Amino acid sequence: MSECPPSRPTTYDVLTQHGVSRRDFIKFCTVTAAALGLEPTMAGKIAHALQTKPRIPVLWLHGLECTCCSESFIRSSHPLVGDVVLNMISLDYDDTLQAAAGHQVEEIRKQIIKDYPGEYILAVEGNAPTKDGGVYCTIAGEAFTDILLETAEHAKYVVAWGSCASNGCVQAAHPNPTGAVPVKELIHDKPIVNVPGCPPIAEVMTGLLTHLLTFDRLPELDREGRPKVFYGQRIHDKCYRRSFFDAGQFVEEWDDAGARKGWCLYKMGCRGPTTYNSCSTFKWNDGVSFPIGSGHGCIGCSEANFWDNGPFYERLSAVPIPGVESTPEQVGKVLAIAAGGAAAAHAVSVAIKKAKDGKDADSKGDAGAAQA
Amino acid sequence: MAGTVTSAGAAGASTGEARYRRIYVWQRPIRLFHWVNALAITALFSTGLYIASPVLTSTGEPYDNFVMGRVRQIHFVAAFVFAIAFMWRIYWFWFGNTYARSGFPYVWRLAWWKDLFRQAFDYLRLDFGHIHLGHNALAGLSYTIFIIALGWAQMFTGFAMYSESNPGGFFDGLVGWVLPLLGGSFRTHMWHHLFAWIFATFAIVHIYIVILDGRQYRNGLISSMIMGRKFVRVDDEDESG
Repeated sequence: MSECPPSRPTTYDVLTQHGVSRRDFIKFCTVTAAALGLEPTMAGKIAHALQTKPRIPVLWLHGLECTCCSESFIRSSHPLVGDVVLNMISLDYDDTLQAAAGHQVEEIRKQIIKDYPGEYILAVEGNAPTKDGGVYCTIAGEAFTDILLETAEHAKYVVAWGSCASNGCVQAAHPNPTGAVPVKELIHDKPIVNVPGCPPIAEVMTGLLTHLLTFDRLPELDREGRPKVFYGQRIHDKCYRRSFFDAGQFVEEWDDAGARKGWCLYKMGCRGPTTYNSCSTFKWNDGVSFPIGSGHGCIGCSEANFWDNGPFYERLSAVPIPGVESTPEQVGKVLAIAAGGAAAAHAVSVAIKKAKDGKDADSKGDAGAAQA
Repeated sequence: MAGTVTSAGAAGASTGEARYRRIYVWQRPIRLFHWVNALAITALFSTGLYIASPVLTSTGEPYDNFVMGRVRQIHFVAAFVFAIAFMWRIYWFWFGNTYARSGFPYVWRLAWWKDLFRQAFDYLRLDFGHIHLGHNALAGLSYTIFIIALGWAQMFTGFAMYSESNPGGFFDGLVGWVLPLLGGSFRTHMWHHLFAWIFATFAIVHIYIVILDGRQYRNGLISSMIMGRKFVRVDDEDESG
């Protein structure tokens, strides 16, 4: 079947070796085409690509992160065969998943860079601390910042997995003691795909890799470098509770009648209206549920600065006045009351002056004030 | 003095001594703009408060109710009214009479700064001396900041959030870049809300000063925004500007 040298088997070769049936393979291609929002005929193209193209070597780096992206990734459920995705790519370096350890592992990474320059995908989970020479994240004695730049130099694409790599996430939250920066601020000369989320949805991750493998180019990206197909809409716009929002029916307390009836969580601080992700479409864990479906508001984990946007249960973020935790509402009320008070005080002083002037110079009359 | 004198020496003051002339200052488009603006801002502020913190709760099934949907609709319609009136006012800045431009902050002119401080101190010292036909420097500056600058800020943040319901659409292309600039949609909401309160603060000060000013100068300030004409004392005419 393979048109590739045996040293570089195709995805299909590896799948059949692992006992995946042709039928399951075609199912996977169809599901993936649907998930990518492609027309049905494209399933054939995906199947063709997976049977003819050698697997793409992937170097999966882990910087400052919690590995939730990997955890999500290995639980991808839509590719019907559990390990289809791990077989789809040639995951040559992933210090969390691979069996090898120590210097061996680092050798593999350097070998891949040498053997497949400009062909491999660099997948970055987590981000790089830049302060103090990058000492806050070192792997095998090397600063992660240096490893990242070295590996990126010959990469074909850079995939920024998760909110850490895409926009900083918790370690870049205020006050960001390690100077952690997202991948896009370190790498400027490579095509980067941001796949934010804490973690991203597994099907989004596998869908992106399938797209890269099938079409050998990046999917259409939005302004912030996210694939439009997965991040094109707000959670709010496809939320099954949207009808309650439009009706004006909101949960006020976690245990009120509205909460039991499944009303909109807007007033409980739900970030659905300001968060771009596919949670309300794909859901999680084989479509079982997603946060709003389980009765908790979205915390906006795929949005930049979501840790710094104030409490998760507030509708509006705090006004960034140093040292003051003020909501816009409070600041506004203070301003309005101050203005009203100033006006009232001024009016009183005008009245007092008028009364005085009246006593001093009765004859001047009304127009006197205009001449002073 | 520029402007059209439509009736001279008509009305006497209440004392029976001072003589006033009526001068046409605010042309129809300016007056229309003012009241359209006032209504639009009132509608925007009140619906905005509800959108940020929906206090009314409807009962029954959601298909029977459309409270939030309707309030947002009113907010968006008022926003378009505000924006169109705003653009019209920019047009009229160039094509209206001289008073249509009198609010412009001429920061490079010494006279403007002098007028600014004189007006501010006049208000603070309760010392009402100088009569203006158009905007005085202080009024002009406050409109430039609280209507023009704040209006732009509200339109950029507002239409950016409006664009979110149609990513990749017309408004996304026009002002969608504002969202990442302000640190995301969530923070854009915060700024939009804070700016709205500054509008409310401005409205309080504005209404107070207008009443005060009209009372002290006897210039018919409030009715001038309805009828277009201001009163000026005949012996003050050389001072007006």
